[in-house]
Amino acid sequence: MKVAFVTPRYGPEIMGGAETAARQLAEHLVAECGWEVEIFTTGAIDHITWDDVLAPGDSVLNGVTVHRFRSASGRVPEFYALDGRLRTAPAQASKDDARRWLECNGPVTLDLLDALRGSDADVVAFYPYLYYPTVAGMDAVSVPRVLHPAAHDEPALYLPVFAPTYAEADAICYHTAAERRLVQRIHPVAQVPQIVLGLGVGEVTEGGRAGGEILGIGDRPYVVSVGRVDEHKGSAMLARFFRLYKERHPGPLALALVGPVAVAIPEDDDVVVTGVVSEADKWDLVRDALVAVSPSALESFSLVVLEAWEQSVPVVVNATCDPTREHCERSGGGLWFGSFREFEVVLDRLCADASLRRFLGERGHNYVEKYYQWPALIARYAEFLTNVCQRGPRWARAGS
Amino acid sequence: MTEEARGAGTGGTTTGDEEADRSYLARVRAEIDDEVRRRRASGDLPPQMESELEQLFLQHAPLGSTRQELHEVLRLVDAAAFIDPVVPVASSRPGGTAIKKGVRSLNFWYLRFITHQVSKFTTATSRSLHILDQQLSELAAKIEALEVPPSVVVDVDWAHRTDAWWVPAVVGELEGIRRRVLHAACGDGWLVQLLAATGVDSYGVDPRPGRVAGQELGDLDLREESVLGHLDAVEPGALGAVVLTGVMEGSGHGERRRLLERATMALAPDGVLLVHCLTPAAWEATDAPAEADIVQARPYRPTTWPHLLGEMAMSGEVIAGPLGRDYLVVARRDLPPSAPR
Repeated sequence: MKVAFVTPRYGPEIMGGAETAARQLAEHLVAECGWEVEIFTTGAIDHITWDDVLAPGDSVLNGVTVHRFRSASGRVPEFYALDGRLRTAPAQASKDDARRWLECNGPVTLDLLDALRGSDADVVAFYPYLYYPTVAGMDAVSVPRVLHPAAHDEPALYLPVFAPTYAEADAICYHTAAERRLVQRIHPVAQVPQIVLGLGVGEVTEGGRAGGEILGIGDRPYVVSVGRVDEHKGSAMLARFFRLYKERHPGPLALALVGPVAVAIPEDDDVVVTGVVSEADKWDLVRDALVAVSPSALESFSLVVLEAWEQSVPVVVNATCDPTREHCERSGGGLWFGSFREFEVVLDRLCADASLRRFLGERGHNYVEKYYQWPALIARYAEFLTNVCQRGPRWARAGS
Repeated sequence: MTEEARGAGTGGTTTGDEEADRSYLARVRAEIDDEVRRRRASGDLPPQMESELEQLFLQHAPLGSTRQELHEVLRLVDAAAFIDPVVPVASSRPGGTAIKKGVRSLNFWYLRFITHQVSKFTTATSRSLHILDQQLSELAAKIEALEVPPSVVVDVDWAHRTDAWWVPAVVGELEGIRRRVLHAACGDGWLVQLLAATGVDSYGVDPRPGRVAGQELGDLDLREESVLGHLDAVEPGALGAVVLTGVMEGSGHGERRRLLERATMALAPDGVLLVHCLTPAAWEATDAPAEADIVQARPYRPTTWPHLLGEMAMSGEVIAGPLGRDYLVVARRDLPPSAPR
């Protein structure tokens, strides 16, 4: 079996959730199923400019063949005015405006499409829905097409340019049931073969250091938040909430923000911003945390929540983020907050109640063990792709 | 931990204690909600700070997300309703703060006049939206009192199984079908599995919590979704067949009509609708499912179906079960003579 993935960015240096997910699926299909996997992507690292940073051409990365192509254009200045105009009522945007939005958002990848047409893959997986390579690429192939939307409840999802993308998919692979509900609320695709898959949790590679030692806070208890430190990810909100919490509840508790820094968060005695850390340090930091917090409202899966549970650490998530809240509700491994008041009370409760923390951590751990271990997960995905291939492309069945 | 937690009155985690765990978590969440309400009522945060924190939280929250209600979205409106004429003057440049202060002083009378009017408008808008929310909530409460209980899926052991008399008829009807087939309510996927084994591309939907959960890691396409909600999200004309079992008996007439209309709409022109249903006699029998007493509904008589199908521009046959306890409806759209089957 040969699978092609189309994704606008690819590689270990890419921090995006969808792109990382595509890479993990690709590499596990090679490693665990022995399948042939090729990637059609650009040389971009930055999803705003789409500048070609990585050289075009073919290479092999962890057993996966990567074809990189130059972009004809990245995000153009016109995008911002158009986006501002369309985002207030995206469903009412004209098809022409929506198409223009897509092209202005970039990356426009004409060479990639030409190469994709010549691919001999049995099935093509597109990841995520939001960009030109997926929308245009769906039209370029005649073999079955699997769409991995990685959809958030964002204005773009309502733009009419994406309706054919969803309608033409031969199968859809969701991260969570919440994502499926969201997509089906907007696009009539409930009849399309689908799977709710998610991602597996990688091997725990602890470094053996104490989390407090890595943070330089000694034995103080701390709350950890792993992921890009970014305004949009809720990091600034979390830091503000935590500082106010500390004003009202003085004590040794600290907050560790762990991940690449996109927004400056002033550090003080209570808030430590680590920047990028090694995998070993990350696992050590999570293992020793009282609680892991995912403040982001815009997650389509959130691997960091599952990684905390892998180490039996309870989590607290943003109540308006359907996927992470669904993880908590299904597993019973976490709580959520929808305001500062709730954040304060939840944190108070968790800090004071060790048996509740253990209870949540254990429930979360069981959930990860059951649903998100790579060997079982990739076997399900392989079975799903095999069925998609057997079913054949939609166009071939249309006449029946 | 489990025993310790249970000993401390905080629930357990063994599989057999799932129910206890769920109720423990529900209790924890209820206690958190109570404490949040108590602290809000105490007014220990200045209103302006409360507003700023709300705005900060809602800044990146998906507006109108599936979980949000009007009063929650109104928090964003409230947080943004006051337009502050006192522009921040902090500056990283030498003398910048003094210059900004000067500019602010010079313009303050003007900005205050403008922002006052805007604030009046936003406050009035916010107030009217709150009144609307309150009136809608009252209306919803009144409707709730009048509401017909939601439809339920009925489990009938002797009828919803692979060796039931009507199953071969369904399998025969679907033999060689090329488009997808939906089974609702699918339970653990028993019919989907049977159809898949005969080469039919089938999938299932069941609204009952946990019914498909045991199968979700298998290779069948089973989903926990409302049947009506699912049919609403199906592309019109996409399905080869819809098989309904256990969903018609416990539904009110209006909901049954909507179900049938949506199912019909989801069918391709040559698609087939298959409905298995208990008879009113079985519904009244002593071994009828408990829902017979609980819901305000009763199954249609077999003789009602030709009338019903006629109203939906469909035609078909009703096959009576051997003991008079149930029947199978096999229906297709009436197509103009020239239309391809």
